[in-house]
Amino acid sequence: MQLEAMAVHLPEVADHPNRAPFTGVLTLVDEPSTKPPSGARGHRVILTRRAALSALPSLLGMAVDYAPSWDGHDARRKCGIITQADVDGARLRVAGYLFAKDFPEVERQMRHGLPGAMGMSWELADAHVEDMRAEIWTLTRATFTGAAILLREKAAYRNTSFELAAARCRSNTPRPALSERVQAEATRHLRNGVTTASRSAGNRKESTWICRAAKTQSI
Amino acid sequence: MDLQSGENTVDLTGNFERVEARLEAAASLLERAVALMVERDSERSGDVQRIVAAVETNRGAGREAELEKKLEAAEQQIAELRAQVRTHAESGTETRAKTARKTIPASTAQFLAKQGLSTLESLEAGALDAALHGLSLEQRIAVKAQLLRAGVVS
Repeated sequence: MQLEAMAVHLPEVADHPNRAPFTGVLTLVDEPSTKPPSGARGHRVILTRRAALSALPSLLGMAVDYAPSWDGHDARRKCGIITQADVDGARLRVAGYLFAKDFPEVERQMRHGLPGAMGMSWELADAHVEDMRAEIWTLTRATFTGAAILLREKAAYRNTSFELAAARCRSNTPRPALSERVQAEATRHLRNGVTTASRSAGNRKESTWICRAAKTQSI
Repeated sequence: MDLQSGENTVDLTGNFERVEARLEAAASLLERAVALMVERDSERSGDVQRIVAAVETNRGAGREAELEKKLEAAEQQIAELRAQVRTHAESGTETRAKTARKTIPASTAQFLAKQGLSTLESLEAGALDAALHGLSLEQRIAVKAQLLRAGVVS
């Protein structure tokens, strides 16, 4: 299994009332979408692993939005932020926070809705299609401009998911064990001189720092 | 002089309107051409400005369904109104027929009066046949034809 990961680390804030950590599967790489995405002129699409990896930096810091009918995107209803992205096998996993205090209806839907009913959808800009005459478009380049929480049946990729953490985390996003290793590796990488902006774990300054760990790990 | 300048103004306005229409048509053609060129260029380059991994929800379909429902309701209302109008018209015809003045030849009226049928408003078939009993077949037919023309019997 291969893991490519990247994260934006936010300072810890105990019992933050507006942060509800989430995890989700945003899309699958190297696999055709279940249905044609909007804007693909009726073609199903394949987001290549290479394109997804190249686009990972553009995903961090992007917002997650929702539509009240849970059937698509509404870029003006940004209810959360993506702080972490991993390509784990064929799954592009994301983690981040929902603005739970600002959007109680979203948290309510996630906590009281049917388990496994919700999925995710990306929004891409400046995508490049290898061959537009192909039955299934292969996306070889793209930039993530956002993501949405929606009903899985409304997502072009049926095997996406979205889940809130069981309880509010007192600090950062609930990092999967897999990601913790990547984070540790990335921190070590930074300390080794990739960047001079070395920061201690206890640093609570209200600035964010981007840690790039776009390296392959064998697990 | 004034008349001539007025005619000129009308001509000029007409010309401007024609030119405006032609310009609008040309602009519309240009817009379509540009859209086609952009699409062709996009196909050639393989670039797509925006893709969203959500199933294309045809929001127009919802609107369409709503409009269809409204249309159905409107059609039903029209049908009901038509039926009402028809009913009114029929009842109006009947009323008109009832209120229409019934005029029959004086000889027939006299004859019917002799037979005891002084009023024509409530003429019953049985009473009429009884009154015409003494007449020949041709006379009975003639009287009935006159009554029919007058609208006394139907």
